Amino acid sequence: MVDLNSYIYLSLILFSIGLFGFIFRRNLIILLACVEIMLNALIILFASLSYFRKDATGYILVFFIIAMAAAEAAVGLTLVVALYKKLKKIYTEEINIFRG
Amino acid sequence: MSIQDIVFYYLSLAMIVSALFTVFSRNPVHAILSLLVLIIHQAFMLYTLGSEFLSAIQIIVYAGAVVVLFLFVVYLINLQKEERLKVFIRRLSVGLIFFIIFAFLFIKNLLLLFNLDVGFRGFLAIDPTSSQELKMMARYLFTEYLFQFELIGVILLVVVFGAVFLLRKVKEERVG
Repeated sequence: MVDLNSYIYLSLILFSIGLFGFIFRRNLIILLACVEIMLNALIILFASLSYFRKDATGYILVFFIIAMAAAEAAVGLTLVVALYKKLKKIYTEEINIFRG
Repeated sequence: MSIQDIVFYYLSLAMIVSALFTVFSRNPVHAILSLLVLIIHQAFMLYTLGSEFLSAIQIIVYAGAVVVLFLFVVYLINLQKEERLKVFIRRLSVGLIFFIIFAFLFIKNLLLLFNLDVGFRGFLAIDPTSSQELKMMARYLFTEYLFQFELIGVILLVVVFGAVFLLRKVKEERVG
């Protein structure tokens, strides 16, 4: 039987995968995609909480999370494009202009 | 094991596998397409969690705007020589299997949820006013969370200005 715990475990697994990718990948675009995976895990968590507790607050939070994810992706990708225009690099170990 | 359990296990398995593909894929285009698979499965999971509105928003905003934006940037930046159309066509069988399973589960669950008879006429015969969830969300959004709702609009406006400002500044520096 699928209950709230199953959804929480799924959300935890997805968040861990996203966090792992965010730490260990080097491509900046994949890093932003990993942030999207973590936000999707949060969406599952809030929607399942709202569904099982019969409360609409989780759905409202999911709505706001989706809007914020769109804004975050737009700004992040704009920064990646600006960085690529300036340095011609998108791998994290190559970008060391702040290193003295 | 009921049909809800089977749907949940299939969706969670597909989401975890596509998330792993997104993280471990060497090719950025394949990673972003795996993210698209994850998002579509998650939209269906939101549908099974009782929210048709959020499912539609997920498809429209994530799959329609965010993933396409990611793909634009990948094609703009990573001009990889090994990217060819044959790669997509060779994996056509795998994608077709997933598509058939997904379409079968979707149609089956949709027919079960709405208690419809066999046949595709039911898809168009759904009464849109019967959705209580949409009314509930609209009531919350426009009464209790009205300030946050307006704030989202302001944030999106700032994002548009910020994107234009960042890229224009870099271009002027390169010209001058």
